[in-house]
Amino acid sequence: MNLTEYFELVFTDYTLRTITLGTAILGAVTGMLGSFAVLRKQSLLGDAISHAALPGIAIAYLITGAKDSNTLLLGALVSGLIGTFWIRGIVKKTHLKSDTALGLILSIFFGFGMLLLTFIQKQPNANQAGLDKYLFGQAATLVESDVWLMATVTGVCLFVLLLFWKEFKILLFDADYTKTLGFNTKFIDILITTFIVLAIVLGLQTVGVVLMSAMLLAPAAAARQWTNSLSKMVLLAAIFGAFSGVFGTAISASQTNLSTGPVIVLVAAVFVVFSFIFSPSRGLLFRQIRFIKNRRDLELHKTLALMHHIAETHDDITHPHAIKLLNNFQGFTRKTLQKLVEKNYVTLDGNMWSLTKTGFETAANLYTKQTTEDE
Amino acid sequence: MNSAQIEIQLIASLVAIACAIPGTFLVLRKMAMISDAISHSILPGIVVGFFITQDLNSPLLIILAAFTGVVTVVLVEYIQKTDLVKEDTAIGLVFPALFSIGVILIAKNANDVHLDVDAVLVGELALAPFDRLVISGVDIGPKSLWIIGTILLITITLLIAFFKELKVSTFDKGLAASLGFSPAIIHYGLMTVSSITTVGAFDAVGAILVVALMIAPAATAYLLTTNLKKMLALAAFFGVFSAISGYWLAHLLDASIAGSITTMLGLLFLAVYLFAPNKGVIAVMYREKQQRIEVSLLTFLLHLKNHSEAEERHVNHLREHINWQKIRAKTVLELALKNNMIAVNNNVVSLTDKGDTFTSKAIDYIITNEDAQIEDMKDDFFLFRG
Repeated sequence: MNLTEYFELVFTDYTLRTITLGTAILGAVTGMLGSFAVLRKQSLLGDAISHAALPGIAIAYLITGAKDSNTLLLGALVSGLIGTFWIRGIVKKTHLKSDTALGLILSIFFGFGMLLLTFIQKQPNANQAGLDKYLFGQAATLVESDVWLMATVTGVCLFVLLLFWKEFKILLFDADYTKTLGFNTKFIDILITTFIVLAIVLGLQTVGVVLMSAMLLAPAAAARQWTNSLSKMVLLAAIFGAFSGVFGTAISASQTNLSTGPVIVLVAAVFVVFSFIFSPSRGLLFRQIRFIKNRRDLELHKTLALMHHIAETHDDITHPHAIKLLNNFQGFTRKTLQKLVEKNYVTLDGNMWSLTKTGFETAANLYTKQTTEDE
Repeated sequence: MNSAQIEIQLIASLVAIACAIPGTFLVLRKMAMISDAISHSILPGIVVGFFITQDLNSPLLIILAAFTGVVTVVLVEYIQKTDLVKEDTAIGLVFPALFSIGVILIAKNANDVHLDVDAVLVGELALAPFDRLVISGVDIGPKSLWIIGTILLITITLLIAFFKELKVSTFDKGLAASLGFSPAIIHYGLMTVSSITTVGAFDAVGAILVVALMIAPAATAYLLTTNLKKMLALAAFFGVFSAISGYWLAHLLDASIAGSITTMLGLLFLAVYLFAPNKGVIAVMYREKQQRIEVSLLTFLLHLKNHSEAEERHVNHLREHINWQKIRAKTVLELALKNNMIAVNNNVVSLTDKGDTFTSKAIDYIITNEDAQIEDMKDDFFLFRG
């Protein structure tokens, strides 16, 4: 199957449609909430929580004995939340830093989850098969009810986000001020954290534990490069996330032996790289171009200032001088001279140059501007 | 205990020590999450090494994997330097991408060989004794034991040789640079050692246990001491303790050894987190509560000192006046009585001489903030210990 066939099939084939919709919704909701995680400097929280959810899945299975995905996700949510709040407890109550707390909870919870999973596997007559799909994710196992669950959660999340938009926004940028305004910062904080955990848990089934953090971060990091407005960033991140989901699914479906999760993550990574390079205001390419342009302008100004210095000593400012005179000055080249001619600051006649009137005035102004700024 | 069991415990203990040493510095340098990133992103290095050599035991795999680990660090630093995103975001972007490449490479090209992602991530310590190193027909022990033993030996040698440099550059980068140690060389040296340790260890125990063994013992030790040498020793001890007790837990439950060791590390951390003498949660809470009571006591004594009229000092009036709840007022009153700072006469409270001097001293301290005055009070009151 190639890509065009895939897009023709999406609308008719049940499985493909379900998976595509699922990954698109997942990408949108993680992108949306990921923006908050990135701006709150909680980028690696996603990594920690997705690992911390594992024991919850195992315990939920041990208690209920059923493989119902909603129950398992509930377990994941509870243990993810416990992990998150323990991380906070460690950072608040001890002198361990947040990265240590994250790594600690991540590895300990995950290890404990592995202990439980292997314990379950050794149980007689357990139909535990499929529990480990949460480790690496299997988008192919998505069914319509999963997609409905995702859509519902996304809807609720969107509603809450709009309802508390002002609060979330102000908490993001000035937590102390929010408190003095009388908002219950603790409540807002717990609300947003719970939704982030919820989004991560939803993604476990599709892209798995290890890659979940990228789903949370990459669309948001890409969106950040294009705008300074929170609402635009959230919207863009949702769009990037959804597109990563759709394209990732399309590419992995069009080839054999390509797992969906990693492909989605790589597509999201392409969005990030593209944004890092080509974003007009922050991107590396335009930054480099601006840098080069600034340096050129500076060189031009330096040449002009030197010419002005020479011309000043003559009564007639347009008196021609030999280019040789400029030789002991490093900034000038044939090219920069040509540029000055284009700007009508200088006229060239063979090996002689002379300042025009505009050139002289500009240079004089340049000079006075510099000196007044120095004062 | 049979010889395989002894070998497993020996390998686990050596891995624990080899991880604890770089782990301590990672925790102190606030770079703990780098170990998580490295442990995932070495996957493509291993896969490419496997494609080249077609041999899972080739040393080229370790070299390429360790190289990928260093590449991860460099990439993270490069992204960070562009100022487009924060450091933690940079980490979170780099390692899932590299890991994804690794997973896809395996899925596309190596589906039918023994190289699956499960084994890489989770590891199987129980199988380590079966992979023997045989030199000219003589069996000289499990291969993992030799690999991790060599790495540990190199780590310890480097630690002893560069202890001073590591210490200074960890706690004061500027000082290290001005003394002529290049912080960059030490940084990349540490990263290379972490990377090699991760690769060498995770062949035996899996990526997640490596992360746990790097961070958890060091974090636990950090709650108990602020001395670098003690922290290193404690971290190594906690690692070995968890390795051995974890092995027996796994034996008992018939579960994954790596998972059990991690669980033991978690329990150990939980115990220290709660009960550590100075920095544990309970100690901190007790100290905070004690300080709150002592602040109340001081307020109470100041009130007494300011008022000579009897009705202001009546027990019942105090409760209304300072607006404390009944219980707190009673605790404070009892504490003051027990310390002989007040005397109660017909339900009217007055300061004793001792209470009077104490209050004056405390006021002096609050106004001047000079420590010398209150040295003798530090023994009795948390409040003045800072």
